[in-house]
Order: sequence, then C-alpha cells, then structure tokens
Amino acid sequence: APLAELSGDHDFQLFLHKNLEFTRKIRGDVAALQRVVCDTFQLCTEEELQLVRPDPPLMQAPLDQCHKRGFQAEVCFGQIRAGLHSYHDSLGTVLQLLPEHTALVETLQLDAANLSSNIQQQMEDLGLDTVTLPAQQRSPPPAFSTRFQQQVGGFFILANFQRFLETAYRALRHLAR
Amino acid sequence: MGSAITASCTIRRERCRGLQDGQPRISWLLDTEPMAGRQRRGVGGTEVSELSVPQLNRPQAKLWCCMEWNGTKQRVGMAEIRAGYPPGKPSNLSCLLDLGDYGLTCRWQQGADGHLPTNVMLKCAMSRSPAVTCCTPQNGHSQCTVPRRLLQLYRPMELWVTASNALGTAESERLRIDPMDVAKLDPPTLQSIHSVPPQTNCVTLTWALAPRNAHMELCCELRYRAAKDPTWDVVTGIAGHAGNVQHCKFLFGMLYHFQMRCRRDSARGYWSEWSVSRNYTTHE
Repeated sequence: APLAELSGDHDFQLFLHKNLEFTRKIRGDVAALQRVVCDTFQLCTEEELQLVRPDPPLMQAPLDQCHKRGFQAEVCFGQIRAGLHSYHDSLGTVLQLLPEHTALVETLQLDAANLSSNIQQQMEDLGLDTVTLPAQQRSPPPAFSTRFQQQVGGFFILANFQRFLETAYRALRHLAR
Repeated sequence: MGSAITASCTIRRERCRGLQDGQPRISWLLDTEPMAGRQRRGVGGTEVSELSVPQLNRPQAKLWCCMEWNGTKQRVGMAEIRAGYPPGKPSNLSCLLDLGDYGLTCRWQQGADGHLPTNVMLKCAMSRSPAVTCCTPQNGHSQCTVPRRLLQLYRPMELWVTASNALGTAESERLRIDPMDVAKLDPPTLQSIHSVPPQTNCVTLTWALAPRNAHMELCCELRYRAAKDPTWDVVTGIAGHAGNVQHCKFLFGMLYHFQMRCRRDSARGYWSEWSVSRNYTTHE
C-alpha cells in the first residue's frame, strides 16, 4: 500500500511509536558508551581527531534513501536494517576496547538486532519486500595496528552509529503521526 | 490416586529347598499394612501371588512381597508406588521487566497439586518463531526470569506456563505482551516547587524522569495533601516528558506534601513507586 495510506494504519503507527522509543533507548546507550570512551581515553570530539581518522575510513552505513522527501519506506527501512546489521558487527571493536563494559555493549548489539527484526517483521506485515540478512556475526570487526588506533576506531564507530541512529530516528518520526 | 492397582510376585520353588515342606507361602505388605493375595502354581516350577487393591488413596507407598520362612516373614521384593493426578492448570501469569538487566520476571499461580514429580516451564514464542523454553523455576518457586537475550523488545511476544507429570500436561492462559509495556519504572524526581504565577493559588512543579526511563513514553500523576489532611488529591494525565506541571486551588499559607509517579501508557503498565515526597508552603 502506498505510504500515505499506511501512515493512518493503527498498527503501523504503533510500530513507529514503539520503535521511535526503542531508537531513543539505543541512542542513549550509545551516548553512554561515548561518555565512557571520553572519560577513559580522553577521546571526546571529532574535531580533535581529524588527523588520525581511520584510513581507509570506517564503514558508514548509507541512509541516503531516508533523507529524500517522499522516500520509499521499503528502501529506507532496508537501509536501516542493513546499517543496524553492520554496526552490530562493528561494535565488536568496542567490545574489545571496553571489556569492563561488555554487558552494555552486548545489550546494544541485542537491541540493534531486535530493532532490525522489528523492522523486518513490520515490513513483512505490510507486504513490503525484505532482504534476509546473513547470520549476525557475519564480518569480524575492523582490525587496528596500534592500541591508539583501536581507541580512535572505537570512537568513530560510536560516533558514526550515533549519527546513523539520528537519521533513522528522523525517518521513523517523519512517518509517525 | 483412588484407582485400583494390581501386582504379582513370582518365586522359584527351587530357591526354597530350606523350607520344611518346600511350599513357599507368599504375603504382602502395603507399607506396614498386611494384604492378602491369591497364590497359585506358576509355570516352570514357580509360585505366583496376585494382589488387587481396589482403591489406593495415598500418593506414595511401598508394596512388599514377603515369604514365610522359619516362622518369620521375609521381605523378598519391593515396588514403589506413586499415585496422583494430572497437574492442575497454572493461572494468573504476570510479568515484570527489570530495567536494570532487562530480565523479564514472570510469576504465576501453580495449579492443584498432582502429587507427582512435576516439570514446570515458562514458554515463550516471538511472532513467527517456534516456542522455546525461556526459563525454569528453581526450588519449586512459581516464578522465573527470562534473560534479555531471549526477549524481543518493542514487539509482542507470547508467554505461558506448562506443568507436566507422568499423567499429563497442563498449560496456563497465554500472556501476549511487549516486554517494554510491563517495565518496572523508577519513580520520577520532583525538582522544585514555586508559587507561579505569583500571588495566586497556583503552584508550578518542575520534575524529571529517572535516567533509565528518559527515553520512554509515560503517563504520570501527581498527588498532594495538606500536612494536616490525611487524604490525597490526585492530578492525573500528566504527559510523560520531564518539565513543569501547574495546578491551582491551593490554600494560602499552608504546608503541602507532593509526590509523583509514572507508568507506561499500556493496559498492562505498572505504576512506579511514588517519588520521594517534597514539601512546600504556599505564600500567605
């Protein structure tokens, strides 16, 4: 059904409101980890790390289809799912970086997986095409040659994930009444 | 329990050469109660005694096969009997999500005792997924906690209790919930209270959600009472975003106690505890 029609659908709106809240929760947990990286490694702002940005740059999940006005839910949702999947794997670096915060990182990975399957199930309910993403731990987290580069990598993975979540949140909110 | 039981005891005569007349006389004991069986010659040089007990009314018993020997009763065989009923249907299943570890603790009322060893399990099924056992109560308790990794947040899932023993299985009603809708919330915090606008009978309170609930959509209520008055007045339907709430019709120069609580917007939401009380005296 065209998106306009869906926007009035009660179940779709319930899905949106629930998963807007879920996204807020995940963003809060990512922010908590960013504070830990800041407190632990004094890596707090991107401005200070321009010269040591990972090269080649770390994965940044595309959400271009979620920006455009009148976007296609199918494509945008698919990009959100694919991004959640990628960041789920990249968080492996943060796990290695912050072993004493394993519980929070693993919760984050679980939440990312849950949000992705919530979107998939909702897309199936709406009769939209969905892509079956491979099993969770598909690609190992990026490798770094020095401890400092690993810390910087962890910083940028969280920063990229936070940005990704902000865009995904705006996309969901755009659809919510 | 309450139904009839039958038993048989077979003894080889060749094993009884020590008896004066070589003729074994078989008797029975149900725990300590003597029972009479019907004894007959069996095939292959055996003696067989058959016992029928019309109605066994105890959940546990030992049935002894005995033989007279040198004027004494010898216990030569034993069978343990367990009697009971199929398990009763568990009921009143309810669950609560702990926002600390996101474990979902479910409680229920056990069904009637079947008097038999019973296996109790909490089953979960996410939409479009097969049912799994998500936790098993320990030490006979009627509760257990589903770990976060078995939950699907922000999506309905079904939970139910199964109780099984040798005579059958019983299942509770199915509870269909989104675990987030049954989260146990932390109380909000009342931050400040002022007479605003000034010189009126109105009061404005600023309040905040607990950090763990900051991302959640809640509905809250405020209660207040004059220090000398035991009854509370309640202001309901306060939207769950931190901020201000204004209320009027307060008496002047009066000490009031204020508290606030919040809950999820869903039918199954639980109220948080009331916040710490905050006092305020309105201006003269």
